[in-house]
Amino acid sequence: MLTDREIQRYSRQIAFIGEEGQERLKAAHVVLAGAGGLGCPAALYLAVAGLGRLTIIDSDRVEMTNLNRQILHWEQDIGQNKTASARDKLEAMNSDLIIKDVCELITGQNAVALTGQATLIIDALDNFPARYALNLAALAHGIPCIHGAVSGYDGHLTTVIPGETACLQCIFPDPPGGSEFPIIGTTAGIIGLMQAHEAIKFLTGKGTLLKNRLLIWDGRDSSVTFLDLERDPECRICRNWTQDAGSVGGVE
Amino acid sequence: MKITVRAFAQFREVVGEVTVLDLPEGSGLPGLLAALASRSDESRNLLFDDQGAIREQVIFMVNRKRVPRSSLDSIILDEGDEVAIYPPVAGG
Repeated sequence: MLTDREIQRYSRQIAFIGEEGQERLKAAHVVLAGAGGLGCPAALYLAVAGLGRLTIIDSDRVEMTNLNRQILHWEQDIGQNKTASARDKLEAMNSDLIIKDVCELITGQNAVALTGQATLIIDALDNFPARYALNLAALAHGIPCIHGAVSGYDGHLTTVIPGETACLQCIFPDPPGGSEFPIIGTTAGIIGLMQAHEAIKFLTGKGTLLKNRLLIWDGRDSSVTFLDLERDPECRICRNWTQDAGSVGGVE
Repeated sequence: MKITVRAFAQFREVVGEVTVLDLPEGSGLPGLLAALASRSDESRNLLFDDQGAIREQVIFMVNRKRVPRSSLDSIILDEGDEVAIYPPVAGG
């Protein structure tokens, strides 16, 4: 149930998503993997939208080079854990939001344990080994995962629904190369915000998700292209997917 | 025959947004990629690995339909086809 204060606070969006939509946001638990360029704007807008519960996972500390895009981290936070830095700002913006910060690197060993309680997972990571581990965990739990990635002026995102859409491994059977990517802050902002938007659509049930569609953003001319996707029947990760946890390759 | 290539992301910076290639009739996707690769080392490096194999992570579309890895070698192009090439990004 929404309180009177919440009904007032979210009145401008309740007019659009209804009290039921707002209640769904309040009841939801989003696990956000990555508190960097994508994770910061995604968390920011989910927090002010009235999300009930947010788990933020990131093992990094704030560095000066993060400040061009990771908008929840400020000069004063350099050297702090990103999860703590992000939590401080988000709590100040919305004291109703219940935040859990997990200062850990996502790996194949811990991804399943870290994501089990989620209504929805957001992949705002910066490398494919961790993204694949998260994909596996999302499939193991049957939890939808919104994937986004950026470099320079380029970005893309899609929503993975276990058993229904292509999984991350179907779409990108091999990891894109490189480790440290040049990024313009606005590119990360746009894609991170689109991930939050996708999350709001999923959680409220209002709108059409990017299911089996890869949205490709090109900031050079601000153009958007959609690439139709489909499950790879040969995908080594999801080809035998069933709802029962532990039914995908490599996950116990 | 004329084939239009639409490049995305990093590949756009190397070959330009839209390129029209004149290829022999009956050319396939590998032939088109070889023609693109011959334009510059950067272009070759984006499309092929050190062993000369097409990079697994690059996404190819013909007439806006994704080409599965298994049919990359067997796709034959027709006059007027549009091939889109997207080397995915990974940062966050």
